[in-house]
Amino acid sequence: MADLFQVTVDFDRSHLIFPRLIGIILLLLGAAIAVSHRQAILNSGRMWAQTFGAMDKPRFIGTLILTVIYFLLMVPVGDLWPNTGLGFLICSIPFVALISILYMHERDARSLLPALIVAVVGPALVWWLFTYVFALTLP
Amino acid sequence: MDFLQFLTPMYLFLIFSGTLVGIIFGAIPGMTATMAVAVCLPLTYSLGLDNGLALLLGLYVGGISGGLVPAILLGIPGTPSSITTCFDGYPMAQRGEGEKALRIGIISSLVGGLISLAALFLFAPALAEFAIKFSYVEKFLIILFALTVMAALSDNMLLGIFSGFLGIFVSLIGVYDVTEGGNGQYRLIPPGTEYWLEGGFSLLPVLIGLFGLATILEGAEAGMPKGQSLKDIKVGEHSRFRWSVFKGQVVNLVRSSSIGTFVGILPGVGGSAASILSYTAAKTASKDPDSFGKGNPAGIIASESGNNGLTGGALVPLLSLGIPGDSTTALLIGAFTLQGIQVGPLFIGNNPGTWDSMIVAMLLANLVMFGLMYFAIRWLAMVVAVPKHILFPVILMMCVIGAYTINYGIMFDVWTLLIFGIVGWLAPKLKLEIAPFIIGFILGPAAEIYFVKSLESFGTLSIFFTKSWIALLLWALIIGSVVGSAMLARRKAQGQGAAA
Repeated sequence: MADLFQVTVDFDRSHLIFPRLIGIILLLLGAAIAVSHRQAILNSGRMWAQTFGAMDKPRFIGTLILTVIYFLLMVPVGDLWPNTGLGFLICSIPFVALISILYMHERDARSLLPALIVAVVGPALVWWLFTYVFALTLP
Repeated sequence: MDFLQFLTPMYLFLIFSGTLVGIIFGAIPGMTATMAVAVCLPLTYSLGLDNGLALLLGLYVGGISGGLVPAILLGIPGTPSSITTCFDGYPMAQRGEGEKALRIGIISSLVGGLISLAALFLFAPALAEFAIKFSYVEKFLIILFALTVMAALSDNMLLGIFSGFLGIFVSLIGVYDVTEGGNGQYRLIPPGTEYWLEGGFSLLPVLIGLFGLATILEGAEAGMPKGQSLKDIKVGEHSRFRWSVFKGQVVNLVRSSSIGTFVGILPGVGGSAASILSYTAAKTASKDPDSFGKGNPAGIIASESGNNGLTGGALVPLLSLGIPGDSTTALLIGAFTLQGIQVGPLFIGNNPGTWDSMIVAMLLANLVMFGLMYFAIRWLAMVVAVPKHILFPVILMMCVIGAYTINYGIMFDVWTLLIFGIVGWLAPKLKLEIAPFIIGFILGPAAEIYFVKSLESFGTLSIFFTKSWIALLLWALIIGSVVGSAMLARRKAQGQGAAA
């Protein structure tokens, strides 16, 4: 009986033991979930249709698109002025401004002005803090 | 008088500002204490451990407490842990007793925080001293127990356990760390991504993504609902608060704070469970249970002392076993990681200065929270009305800078933030539980080392059952938590079936 529990660990392959064990447990749990939640899984198409139907698509998709563009531009812009963090500053100001405008409900001068001031002051303050006070390199 | 050495102007400033910012985060619906800690974590990089923890503990205490403001004034819980505060706080505000309700909540929060701090001070060192004797076998079983308790208390146990193991699986991506006794080989890395995934996903971008970006995506999905206008918020100028409202409520205060502390000690159980259990206990013990939900101050006392009782309790398993008590304390692990310090049974003994500093910081954060909230109630009411279109873009930028600077400027960490932001947004839709996922992700690498090294040393799986009486006790607790949860779920389902 004791032999059933005997295990010999080959050190060169020891990196695979735990991931495989966890993988097997996940497969078993996944199968149990598939059986116990089969009705919910079968109806998931309707759930997703409702989710996307109720979603504020311009704000949600706009957030994702602006974020990806922001990430993609930060490094190339920063490379124009290496080790200054200006890539972060130059990209963050329009990013914060555009996200603010995207999230606004009334886009009149009374709402726009404070948002634009924050969009300039916020990134500038953070850039100054991290570059000069914390001495951390930004893109 | 050793504690006086911590009280530098910088330390005090960080506790004050952390608590203030935490209250603001907690007071704005949709923003949580966890989010506040996630966003401000990178700031601790340059502060040193003691000062960094002072800031984060202030954010934690302030964030949990701030949630009572919108719960009472708007009937919207500022944080999940203040959900039961709405039940009696909002009806009181509706009948012009908003200020009175706020003051009751603030005092109860202070009492809950202080009782849980006393529990932390007394229990954590004792538990750590006991846990020092644990071998890798018991340490592995403690992690397994933490995951099963957390999963057992999830909405769905099966999905909770799945989420925990998924967190472990994701944490294993990358190299099997040589410094921990691994063989330095890659695993679970898709071909072509070795350069980025060699060290796996970094903890902090994952946390900031799950708790920061995901919240913003949820807000964007919902159309970034407009906040309340100032004129809609009624504090209730004519309702005078009197201390006599606490007459006969001492038992309620102590019971609720103790429940909150106990729930905090259980790994991964959030503040909402603490406040719901405290509220239910107060209602059950009341001579007039029907008055609960209609503006009974005892309901606010139970809810707020319960959720603030969580704050000290959740630090007990973190500082004695290295296992976070809730999502926010999981983030505190990030602060220790940044400073190269490992939390576990040896932490308190090896870092007595940091331990004392944390206790003092918790005490001061509770007092600052009380002072700020009690004497600035009208200003707090205005915080609720801060527009999200101003705050969220700045928070999004802070998330990015946090992810980027955490490893000295690696752009992949910023993409990790986006990936896990989307994961955090998707998880509730797929019924996955974030708390077990995070605990699994944090403890996964340690669980692997404990498991594999135990097998290497003893050469048999039976060692996990036969090593000591502690191992057997832990198995009993693991099985008990799973079976108990399954029975509760079954009873609940039968109850629903009978009701239908």
